Amino acid sequence: MLGTLLRFRLRRDRLRLGLWVAVLFLLSLLIVSEVRDTFGTLASRVATLRILLVTPAVLLFRGTPQGTSSGDFVAVLGLAFVALLVGLMSTFLVVRHTRAEEEDGQADAVAATAAGRRLPTLAVLLHVALADLLVTVAIAAGLLAGGLPVGGSVLLAAGCGMCGLVFAGVALLLAQVLPTARAANGASAAVVVAAYFVRGIGDAAGTPHPETFTLTPAWPSALSPIGWAQAIHPFADDDPAPLLLGLVASVVLAAAALALAERRDVGAGLVAARRAREHASAWLGGPFGLAVRLERLSLAGWIVGLVAFAALMGGLSVAVVHQLDQAGPGIATVINRLGGSNGTIQQAFANLGAQFGGVLAAAICVQAAQRLRQEEAAGRADAVLATATGRVRWLLSHLLLAALAAAVGLELAGLVAGWLSDGGEVDSGTWLLAFLWQLPAALVFLGIVALVFAVVPQATVPAGWLVFAAAVYLGIFGPLSGVPDWARHLAPFADVPAPALPTTSYTGGAVLALAAVVLVVAAVVLFGRRDTRPVG
Amino acid sequence: MDAVIRAEGLQKRFGRVRALDGLDLVVDRGEVHGYLGPNGAGKTTTIRILLGLARATSGRVGVLGEDPWRAAAALHRRIASVPGDVVLWPNLSGGETVDLLVRLRGGRTDTAEYRTVRRELDEEFQLDPGKKARSYSKGNRQKVALIAAFAAPAELLVLDEPTSGLDPLMEEVFVRRLEAFAAGGGSVLLSSHILSEVERLCTRISIVRAGRVVESGTLAQLRHLTRTAFSFDRGDSREGALAALPGVHDLVVDDGRVRFTVDPDRIDALLPELGRLAVTGLRVAPPSLEELFLRQYGDVLEPQEA
Ligand SMILES: Nc1ncnc2c1ncn2[C@@H]1O[C@H](COP(=O)(O)OP(=O)(O)OP(=O)(O)O)[C@@H](O)[C@H]1O
Ligand SMILES: [Mg+2]
Repeated sequence: MLGTLLRFRLRRDRLRLGLWVAVLFLLSLLIVSEVRDTFGTLASRVATLRILLVTPAVLLFRGTPQGTSSGDFVAVLGLAFVALLVGLMSTFLVVRHTRAEEEDGQADAVAATAAGRRLPTLAVLLHVALADLLVTVAIAAGLLAGGLPVGGSVLLAAGCGMCGLVFAGVALLLAQVLPTARAANGASAAVVVAAYFVRGIGDAAGTPHPETFTLTPAWPSALSPIGWAQAIHPFADDDPAPLLLGLVASVVLAAAALALAERRDVGAGLVAARRAREHASAWLGGPFGLAVRLERLSLAGWIVGLVAFAALMGGLSVAVVHQLDQAGPGIATVINRLGGSNGTIQQAFANLGAQFGGVLAAAICVQAAQRLRQEEAAGRADAVLATATGRVRWLLSHLLLAALAAAVGLELAGLVAGWLSDGGEVDSGTWLLAFLWQLPAALVFLGIVALVFAVVPQATVPAGWLVFAAAVYLGIFGPLSGVPDWARHLAPFADVPAPALPTTSYTGGAVLALAAVVLVVAAVVLFGRRDTRPVG
Repeated sequence: MDAVIRAEGLQKRFGRVRALDGLDLVVDRGEVHGYLGPNGAGKTTTIRILLGLARATSGRVGVLGEDPWRAAAALHRRIASVPGDVVLWPNLSGGETVDLLVRLRGGRTDTAEYRTVRRELDEEFQLDPGKKARSYSKGNRQKVALIAAFAAPAELLVLDEPTSGLDPLMEEVFVRRLEAFAAGGGSVLLSSHILSEVERLCTRISIVRAGRVVESGTLAQLRHLTRTAFSFDRGDSREGALAALPGVHDLVVDDGRVRFTVDPDRIDALLPELGRLAVTGLRVAPPSLEELFLRQYGDVLEPQEA
C-alpha cells in the first residue's frame, strides 16, 4: 500500500523532481566554475576574504568564511543559497502532497482506503527523503564535476540535503496545524527564508579571525539548519557532526507531525478557518477591487521585503565605506564594477542598492501579472468576464495594481534608504530618485509578461520567471561574469538611469518607459482578440 | 416573435477539433429553452460563445440583438449566467462572492430590496454565506452561482448544467425560482442532462450533437418525431400480419406479450388493424423525452418497453 502510494506520487512528480535535480546540478557546477574564473588565484581569494571578513552586508547574503581554498570559497559563496533552494523544494513538495492534495479532494480517496490516516503522511516523508537524497547526489556530482575534492563535495551536498529534511519536517508540522494549503506553503517557505537570514545575521555578527581567514559565527547561526550545514565547514574541517543534529531534528519534527496527523480531519488544519463576512465591503465592487483583494497579502509582503532591503542598503551605505577604508581596495573594485565605475564607492553602492530594488520591483510585476493566467486557467477570469466587465478592463485592473505596487514599493524604499543613509555622500533626494528610476524597467517586465499572457497564455508563468532570471543574470551580474556588453543591454536593468552616480544618461529610462507602454498596449490589443482558455 | 438568441451556421474549431460545426439555434423571448446533447456535443462551447467568452470561428450570432463578442460588457448587464464548472475565489466568502458578482454585473447591493432578495435566496438554498469559498462543497459552490444569478434582475438567463451537484431538495428550489423568473417574462437557455427538469421547465428544446442542432421544437413536436411503443397480450392473435404493415418496427414476442414500435405518421393506419385483431391488455406509450434523447444520442437505441 505504502509502495503503491509512493510510486503513484513519484510518477506524478517525476518532471518537477527531474527539473530540480538538473537545476541543482548545473547550479553547483556553475558556482565552482565561477569561483575558478573570478577567484582563480590564491592571491585574489585572500584579497577578497580580507574584505569579506569585515563586510557584514555581504556576509549576510553569503556564508561563513572558513579558509582560502577554492572549495572554501564555494562553500562561503554558495552553500547557504543552495541549501535555501533545497529547503524550498522540500517544503513545496510536502505541502503539495499533504494539504494541497486534500483540498483537491485527492487525499480523501486515499484516506478512505486501507491506507488510513498515517500512511499518506509516511509516504510523504519517504518521498521527500528520496527527493532530498536525489538532489544531494546531484549537488555532489556538480561539485565533483567542477573538480572539487570528494570528501568536501559530498559533505557540502549532504549538508544541503539535511536542510531539506529538516525543513520538510517543519512543513509537515505546519501542514497539520494551519487551516489551508496556501497558508501552509507560505508559512513553511517563510521559515526557510527566515532560516537563511538567521544564519546570515550569525555570519554578519560573527567574530572574524583575519590571520586564518575564518570566522566564528555568532549564536543565531546555531538556530538555523542552514547554519548547521555551514558548521560542517566542507573542504576545510569536513566535520560531519552537524549532519547528525539535523537528522535528529527532522526525526523529532516528523514524529510530532505524525502524532498530529492522527488528530485532525482530512482537509482541515488544527487551527480552524475563521468565520468570514457575509456581505462584500464597498471595496469589493469592481475588477480592480477584486484584484486588490486577491493580491493584497502577497503585494504587501513584497513591498515590506523591498523596504526592508532598502533599509539595509541605506543603513549600511555609510558604515560600509568606513570599513572599506581599512580593508583595502578589493571589494571596492567589485562594488564599482557592479554599481558603476564612474563614481565613488558610496555612490556605486547606492546605485547597486537601487538596482536590486529594481529587481524586486520587477519581481512584483512579474508575479502580479502571472496572476492573470492563474485566474484564467482556474476559470475565474471567465466568472468576471461573464459580467459587465470587459476584457480590457479586467486585464488593465491587474496590470495597474501591479504597477502601483511596484511604484509604491520603490517610493517607500527610496525614502527609507535615503533617510537611513543620513550623512553619506548620496543625499536622500538622490536615493529616492535612484529607486524611482527603476520603475520603467520594472514596468517593462509587466509588459512582457502581459504580452506573453495575451499571445501564449500557457507559457505565462514559466516565461515570466525565465525572462526575469535571464535579465537579472545579464543586467545585474553581467559585469562580474564577463557577459558581452550587447548581451547585457538585452536586460532592461542595464539601461536604468543612475542618479546616484556623478554622470548618467536618462535616455535609457525614457526608452524603457516607452517600451513598457508599447508592450502593454500590444498586450491589451491582442488579449482583446483571443478566447479565454480555462484548463480542464 | 423576436429572438433573444439567434445563431446561424456557428462554427468553432479548437485546432483540429470542430467543437461546433454549423450550429443553428433560436431562442425566442419569454421561452425557457432546453439545450440537450451528449457529453462533448458542444453545449458549453455554444454558451461560451453566447457569453462572449469565446469567439466563433465563423457563422453569425446575436444575443439580445447584439454581437456577444463585441458588446460583451454591455450585454452582461442584461444577462445572468451560471457556468458549467463553477469556480470561486477560495479566499472570498460565499456572501462576498454573490455581492461581487452582482456588482460586477452592474447591480446595486446597497438597496433594501436587494438585501431582502438575498436573504430569501440564502435561506431557500440553505447557503451559509459566511464561509470561505474554499470550504464549500460542489453543491454549495453551485448555489453561490445560482444565488448570484437570481439575486439581480436580468432579461436572459444562460445556465450551463445549473443543477449539477445539487441535492433533490435544492433542485426543487431551483426549479421554482426558474419558473418564477419565466413567469416574469424572462428568457432562459438551459443546458442540462436532467431530462425530468427539462421536461418540466422547458417550452422548447434543441438537441445538439457533434456540434450541430439535430432537433429543435416543442416537446410535442419532438415527440412526433419518435416512434410510439405498443404492446398487448399475445393470446391467439396472429401478430404476424402486423409486422408486414408499413411503419411497424422491431416486433418481438416475449413473456406472452407482443411488442413493437410505430412511426408517428402510421399510427392512424394501425389502430383499425389492432381493432380487427381484438387485442387485449393493449398499452400505448408516447415516447418520453428520455427515449427521444436516447434515439438522438445513441442511433440504435429504440423504445423497448410499453
Ligand atoms: N479549449 C478547448 N480545446 C480543445 N477542444 C475543446 C476545447 N473546449 C472544448 N473542446 C472540445 O469541443 C467539444 C465540445 O465540448 P463542450 O464542452 O462544448 O461539450 P458539452 O456539450 O458542454 O459537453 P458536456 O455535456 O460534457 O458538458 C468537445 O469535443 C471538447 O473536447
Ligand atoms: Mg458542458
